[in-house]
Amino acid sequence: MKKAIKHRKSVSYTKWAYIFIAPFFISYTVFTLVPQFLTIYNSFFENYRNGLQQIGPNFVGLQNYVQLLTPDKTGTVDFLKYFGNAMAMWIVGAVPQFIIALLLAVLFTSARLNLKGQGIAKTIIYMPNLIMASAFSMLIFALFSNVGPINKLLVASGVIDQAFDFLSFKIPVRTIIAFMNFIMWFGNTTIVLMAGIMGIDQSLFESANMDGANAIHVFFDITLPLLMPILTYAMITSLIGGIQMFDVPQVITNGKGTPNMTSQTVIMMLNNYLSTSKNYGMAGALSVMLFIITGILSFLVFRTLSKQYKK
Amino acid sequence: MKTTRNEKAKLSLVLSRVLAYGFIVFLCFLCLFCFILLVLMASKSNSQLQGAFSLRWGGNFLTNLKNAWNDASINIPRGMVNSFIVAMTSAVITTYFSALTAYGVHVYNFKGKNFVFTFIMAIMVIPSQVSAVGFIQLAYKFGLTNKLWLLIVPGIAAPVVFFYMKQYLESVLPLDMVEAARMDGSNEFRIFNEIVLPIMKPAVAVQMIFSFVSSWNNFFMPALLLTKEQYKTVPIMIAQLRSADYSKFDMGKVFMFILLAILPVMIVYMFLSRFIIKGVTSGSVKG
Amino acid sequence: MSEVTLKNVKKIYPFTEARKDQKTDAHRIAHLQITDEGVIAVQEFSLDIADKEFIVLVGPSGCGKSTTLRMIAGLEEISSGELYIDGEYMNDVAPKDRDIAMVFQSYALYPHMTVYDNMAYSLKIKRTPKKEIDRKVREAAEILDITQYLQRKPKALSGGQRQRVAIGRAIVRDPKVLLMDEPLSNLDAKLRNQMRAELIKLRKRINTTFIYVTHDQTEAMTLGDRIVVMKDGFIQQIGTPQEVYDHPSNLFVSGFIGTPQMNYFDARLEKEGGNYVVKVKDYKVVLDDEKQARLAAKGVEPCDVTLGVRPDNMVLGEGGIKGRVEVSELMGPSCHLHLDIDGKDAIAIVPTEGKAKDYTNMDVSLTFTGSVCHLFSKEDEHNLEF
Repeated sequence: MKKAIKHRKSVSYTKWAYIFIAPFFISYTVFTLVPQFLTIYNSFFENYRNGLQQIGPNFVGLQNYVQLLTPDKTGTVDFLKYFGNAMAMWIVGAVPQFIIALLLAVLFTSARLNLKGQGIAKTIIYMPNLIMASAFSMLIFALFSNVGPINKLLVASGVIDQAFDFLSFKIPVRTIIAFMNFIMWFGNTTIVLMAGIMGIDQSLFESANMDGANAIHVFFDITLPLLMPILTYAMITSLIGGIQMFDVPQVITNGKGTPNMTSQTVIMMLNNYLSTSKNYGMAGALSVMLFIITGILSFLVFRTLSKQYKK
Repeated sequence: MKTTRNEKAKLSLVLSRVLAYGFIVFLCFLCLFCFILLVLMASKSNSQLQGAFSLRWGGNFLTNLKNAWNDASINIPRGMVNSFIVAMTSAVITTYFSALTAYGVHVYNFKGKNFVFTFIMAIMVIPSQVSAVGFIQLAYKFGLTNKLWLLIVPGIAAPVVFFYMKQYLESVLPLDMVEAARMDGSNEFRIFNEIVLPIMKPAVAVQMIFSFVSSWNNFFMPALLLTKEQYKTVPIMIAQLRSADYSKFDMGKVFMFILLAILPVMIVYMFLSRFIIKGVTSGSVKG
Repeated sequence: MSEVTLKNVKKIYPFTEARKDQKTDAHRIAHLQITDEGVIAVQEFSLDIADKEFIVLVGPSGCGKSTTLRMIAGLEEISSGELYIDGEYMNDVAPKDRDIAMVFQSYALYPHMTVYDNMAYSLKIKRTPKKEIDRKVREAAEILDITQYLQRKPKALSGGQRQRVAIGRAIVRDPKVLLMDEPLSNLDAKLRNQMRAELIKLRKRINTTFIYVTHDQTEAMTLGDRIVVMKDGFIQQIGTPQEVYDHPSNLFVSGFIGTPQMNYFDARLEKEGGNYVVKVKDYKVVLDDEKQARLAAKGVEPCDVTLGVRPDNMVLGEGGIKGRVEVSELMGPSCHLHLDIDGKDAIAIVPTEGKAKDYTNMDVSLTFTGSVCHLFSKEDEHNLEF
């Protein structure tokens, strides 16, 4: 009858909360937070390899930052140029990405059109998002190279006389990269926006229709304003993705940002510092700059998210 | 009068449908075109590829497959095994610990609960590249390059997956259920493993797929950490194809490598596409 | 074989612990006492529950009844006071070690397990032999008439069936105490009546102590051996349903128990020739002997009082309180008259005796006897008899 009953200090489970969240924070500290501080620390040191010779680490204060933002002989600041490259390629891809995604989302959710085969269409347009970016880039490169099938086709059909080297001209390279980003992301955006539209109270659309609004009115007066928080979120995360642009230009241009560094991005620059010159000082300064920029953007995301979350 | 108005409306509806279908079909074609081309090209021998362009099936698919699989310089089977190990364990670890963290924050009241949630939300979209310098430096310092586990373990802290799991828990797990399990005599760890995790199965499955895919496709970090041939993952090998002198390469084989690189994800996607698409949104932002 | 004793139990939700869950919504704590330490959800709760007794905690939402139940369960910490089960001090014992079971309002069935596994889960954790688990689950299923659903998942069951599973899950363990938190509130009215009857039957088959929380006074009246009426964290009255109905300890209890609600009149208590009489305007009623004795024993002086009379104790008759019938509802055996008496609402239930009559817009006079009068202090609303 009598059995030992365990008496505890209290009927509280706080201990378990800490046990459950501990792995996350330990891992975050070890693999992100400490490296983050180390990155910042590095940015104040001269520390690189010149051939077989190791220079530093020597404390140099803000010199790495100064160097990063000082124009070279031709008057260009590499960091800003590469940042600009990434943004230019991002915007060329993102504008059609968002316009088409919005349009598709509206078409898919339209009760009047009641389109069939949405499942298969969504499956197809989302697919490129899952493709390995480096493999997709290699494919595009192989297709567009001057011995590739596209050139063969164009020559054979008489559009051009001889193979055109797409990859040695600024506009084609940037367009190809932007187009790839567009293809890889518009499906994802469509699905996110669709969910947003479906989250809007359907009776609002019905009531607007009864009020005599046509499709255009409904879109600009109901859909777009109510979709704004999600659209903002999607745009900012897309922008952060744009700043991070790496895989596609790296593989397409073989890490060289051809032609003439016009398709070089900041992360490619970071990659070069880390892999070839082991220039931790400059890489650190570059990372801190990126951290500040993405930090500000993160804050904007955070604000939209927490607003959403409080609802 | 009435009939003409009705007919007009009908006509305009049909017209908009035709336009909409046309537009959608065009976009689908755009998405598929490159990949159809890829499969076709992977079926051609190098000499066929050097010759005139044609959309005909080359008939050398299996030869290319055999050549690619047995290639001396690019050990694609090894790469696929490495990639699979990393992607699979990452997927398991990431989803399990994210669910655990989300559960800890969701169910318990503790000091700093709000801080924890706010903190994770704040770091959610900061890219991992900005701490890469320190990470790489530490990896070299402690001799941890060419260790696959170094690509896996950081996945324990995955803010985006956490956020998804937290939202999912909020919609499916009433606190009553946890208390019922406590009354049934279950301890906290067991409640999570036996009650909560099974309830979260759909979310766990979706996030496992996403973690698998992003890990499979990951290029930046592995390329910096994995320098020895026997540890390289698929994306690194694909990038190596690019830096090799491709003019001397058997192009049929190159296309086959690319096909092999994307095939596992495509196969998973073919079977689970509906499920995956549903998962894209349910966690991110509420409508 | 279990007595439960609560001694001066108190629950404070500290301010620092900002609780998100529904248990302490801002609007629900609005009436509660707030101190420097936090919000007091329950205080001065003392109760002796006998073995196999069916106790019902009843009160409006936010009165602390669920918190009390959850403290007994061990799901909430007891801020101060003592809890004994079978004479053993239990304040800090984990829920699983208290040997009690609970039926949740939402049922809290594990959606991924079959009915069988749901019911077997607690036994499995205790490492009960498989054979015994099987026997117990089947036995409980038999009692609750859910044997044919054992292999189904909760999703495939109706509300009433889920309810039975929730109860089954609780009783398979032969708990010392069975706690029920508003178990019928998720059912529709018809099913609720049916399940209420089932619970009465079930109670006879299971030898355990029941503690049942509800906001529904009908459930409290029909199920409880004793009921505990609570409001704003305090116990208002403890007693058998009959006691509480016949002798409500204060104005709140009188209004909360019994439906339709008791009618109240401004009245004057006076003494005439050594006898207490109560006057409402010109209408005078001499109280019955029992009340005379009680009031005399308390030495109550003549004063203004609130007089309460239950609708079914109001009788149509000459010389009583005058009122006008605004709505007359025919209920079958009786007729509910919604009255306007000097601008106040009142209800009288009059028998139809086979002849339906529409009283609408009639002026009527209502009388009652001295045995049905409830007298409440104007100052603190307590029943003057106590």
